[in-house]
Amino acid sequence: MTVGQSVRYIDAKERITGQIEYVLNMELPGMLYAKVLRSPFPHARIVEIDTSEAEKLPGVFTILTGADLLNDPEVRARFGPVYRDQGIVAVDKARFVGDAVAAVAAIDLDTAEEALDLIYVEYEELPAVFTPDEALAPGAALVHEKVMRRETSFADIILRAEDGSNIGNHFKLRKGDVEIGFAEADHIFEDTFSTPASQHVTMEPHVCVAQVDNSKNVTCWTSTQTPYIVRAQLAETFKAPQSQVRVIVPTLGGGYGAKTYPKIEPLTAMLAYKSGRPVKLTLTRAEDLISITKHAATIRMKTGIKADGTIVAREVESYWNAGAYADISPRLIKNGGYASPGPYKIPHVKVDSYAVYTNLPPAGAFRGYGVAQGAWAYETQMDMMAERLGIEPLEFRMKNFIGKGDTFATGEVVHEPMFSTLTQASADWIGWGKSSTPSNGSKRRGKGVTCIIKGTVTPSTSAALMRLNPDGSCTVLTSTVEMGQGSKTVFTQMIGEAFGLPPEKIKIVDPDTDITPYDLTTSSSRSTFSMGTALMMAGEDAKQQLRQAASDLLEAAPEDLEVVDGLVQVKGSPERSLTLAQVISKGRLGTVYGNGTFTTKGGIDPETGQGIASVHWHQAAAAAEVEVDIETGKVDILRLQTSLYTGKTINPINAELQSEGSVIFGQGKAVLEEMLYDNGQMINANLADYMVPSFLDVPADLGVALFEDHSPDAEAHGIGETTLPPVPPAIGNAIYNAVGVRLQHLPITPEKVLRALREKEQNKAETAS
Amino acid sequence: MKQTIVLRVNGQDHQLEVKSYHTLLWVLRDHLKLFGVREGCGVGMCGACTALIDGHPVSTCLLFPAQVQGKEIVTIEGLAENGDLHPIQEAFIERTGFQCSFCTPGFILTTKALLEEHPNASEEEIREYLAGNLCRCGSYVKIMDSVKLAQQRLNGGKDS
Repeated sequence: MTVGQSVRYIDAKERITGQIEYVLNMELPGMLYAKVLRSPFPHARIVEIDTSEAEKLPGVFTILTGADLLNDPEVRARFGPVYRDQGIVAVDKARFVGDAVAAVAAIDLDTAEEALDLIYVEYEELPAVFTPDEALAPGAALVHEKVMRRETSFADIILRAEDGSNIGNHFKLRKGDVEIGFAEADHIFEDTFSTPASQHVTMEPHVCVAQVDNSKNVTCWTSTQTPYIVRAQLAETFKAPQSQVRVIVPTLGGGYGAKTYPKIEPLTAMLAYKSGRPVKLTLTRAEDLISITKHAATIRMKTGIKADGTIVAREVESYWNAGAYADISPRLIKNGGYASPGPYKIPHVKVDSYAVYTNLPPAGAFRGYGVAQGAWAYETQMDMMAERLGIEPLEFRMKNFIGKGDTFATGEVVHEPMFSTLTQASADWIGWGKSSTPSNGSKRRGKGVTCIIKGTVTPSTSAALMRLNPDGSCTVLTSTVEMGQGSKTVFTQMIGEAFGLPPEKIKIVDPDTDITPYDLTTSSSRSTFSMGTALMMAGEDAKQQLRQAASDLLEAAPEDLEVVDGLVQVKGSPERSLTLAQVISKGRLGTVYGNGTFTTKGGIDPETGQGIASVHWHQAAAAAEVEVDIETGKVDILRLQTSLYTGKTINPINAELQSEGSVIFGQGKAVLEEMLYDNGQMINANLADYMVPSFLDVPADLGVALFEDHSPDAEAHGIGETTLPPVPPAIGNAIYNAVGVRLQHLPITPEKVLRALREKEQNKAETAS
Repeated sequence: MKQTIVLRVNGQDHQLEVKSYHTLLWVLRDHLKLFGVREGCGVGMCGACTALIDGHPVSTCLLFPAQVQGKEIVTIEGLAENGDLHPIQEAFIERTGFQCSFCTPGFILTTKALLEEHPNASEEEIREYLAGNLCRCGSYVKIMDSVKLAQQRLNGGKDS
């Protein structure tokens, strides 16, 4: 059970027998079931709500409206991770189709649903805005009249938002002077790219069970990636100290960013508080699809290049559709903003990215965290510019990649730059430069290659506790959420190796804020690195105590003792040793607690975006070979490969598995997924109309290559998201290479390909005549 | 409207009082507490609620209990025999054919039906047969490895 080996999931048996516990399975005695009444209008003032008929329905315990929230001095009506802009249920206006307007807790779901029909709401419809263009037009309807600021602990966020505007935040980056850069350039290219709103589609929806006693002790079992942030929110909501709030998180049926930050927890807990009973709220698929989305983004990219192909300046202006509530948009547009110039050494860079409120479902964290939208723009433009300049696209990238000692857009030197190696590896894998034969006369084949850079949230803190029990077994206490990424397995490997313990003697406890110590979040590809480092510090702390205690017992100085193979022994004299259990019992230690806290340092200047944006960098390349049917526009992805830098790999098969998942996520974004709206109403809010990749979509030839650092002090790099962002532009570039049509707006559907092919034919015919 | 029905699930008969409009999925979870059957979409598109009805994989969100009286219903909880995991379950563990595992019971049950119907299914046939089960974590490559390992063992072959 050592680090670097492909170890099976430690909880595999529970998983393949269906026994693993999700919040979805939870039931408590006396528990009520909740349903939410949702707005049919994208933007409407709530004039009146009459719940009297619904209250009379037998089995209805509680109905919650905005008035209840405003009239109770014991609670706060609004919540949100950065701005407190979202009513637990709407307190003044409904801001998107599906916004919570009232909620019911009843004896069973049928009764709760019936009660919804008996609630009368009078709305006054207001003009709505759906795109950043509409939202920023003069005289546009305001989604929020005022910025609902809250004290934030988000050290890395700079907030620029003003009353009377739909701009939720503005991120700025200035490196060098783009005007000088463009003046030096021989060619300037300006192109616009867009990506639509799409969704995470965690197979387990958002689900929460909450209980609040009459002293406002809150207990909340919830499917969240951020137990400590949910705890802080609930403490604020109930005006109670955080010690009074307990958030417990069993394993998740998928997260991908959808379950970061408070979502349905304040509402569920408020119903529990009002009813005095435990309450469970489970979103339906249709509700879950509009609970949080990936940001639709429009990105204008202007790039200045010298005649020899050197990029000298890049200006990026991006607009992110944040939807009706800010959620984590203010931070996301920062990470998406600084990443958008790409993995290239560019002396002059200017970035402006804007989060824009609209009357659509709120957008938030999504696997890749803003990097995928930018990568779609810069990696597509790289190929477009290479063609205009007559340079081979791989060579063009190689010429401009950040290398050793070069600085990124944030001005920081990128440690361990691997872009050239990764991109070459991916290109080689698909036989770059060699043509292959299409399967029949209407098919054309093509290849594309891309590369990306991604950061991780910095600064951030993770704390770990490990407890050695009297029998020498070990209990690991962390607030890292197991959501299928295999964190429990990885932590078991790390502790197993550090102490020489077999996996059956190690238990990893699920997050419980009464018991497990602080962690910022299980996201941002950070757990193996951040929590893993904290856990190793905790291990070192425990070892020191063991050496100290064993010193008398083994008659040796603590520094002459070592902990190996589940023993404390005198270095060089393995016959003089004690088991961990012997040291604990003979030393009368009771239990041994090892404590570790790891904090990364960094931060960027609010005006220039210069500084340390990320403690280290995630890097990946992708290569695709496609076959396009020119008669139908259908694209078959024949081969899809990604190469990524993992630093020190803890569990190769697990790393491969998670990366393959990211690739398939990327493929879904490239060719399938898009939330469609009609006047703000999602019109494909079910899995028959909103497509996610199935077995038939995934290329038979799908590869992932891990590139490692084999030096002894190598550190683990997060890999949870890295191979997603390079995939869509690799597919887009391959399609262009195959049939010569350039699509700048995702997803690339057969309809769009066919339309573009027809337009191309028409243009050709017109030019000829 | 309540009705009394008898369902044979995992080899045992259960007499149940159910509401006539509740789905088989609801009854398996809510009445029988078989939590390996899960709702992912509610419209028969994801396969997370799969059970075997007389050996065939079916989305239980699309059925009413009255439709399956007298039939043999098997959920993931009924797959292990005498406490031993089914060879397909063993193969999914060994080849890591899952991540969050919300969809896993559905994949395993569908695989069981596939390998009974088509013991020598090709990769293409496996993909086709499992296309009604969605794995959002995207573990498809390792699921394929798991299915092929199970196939090999069930056909009496040695591990490669």
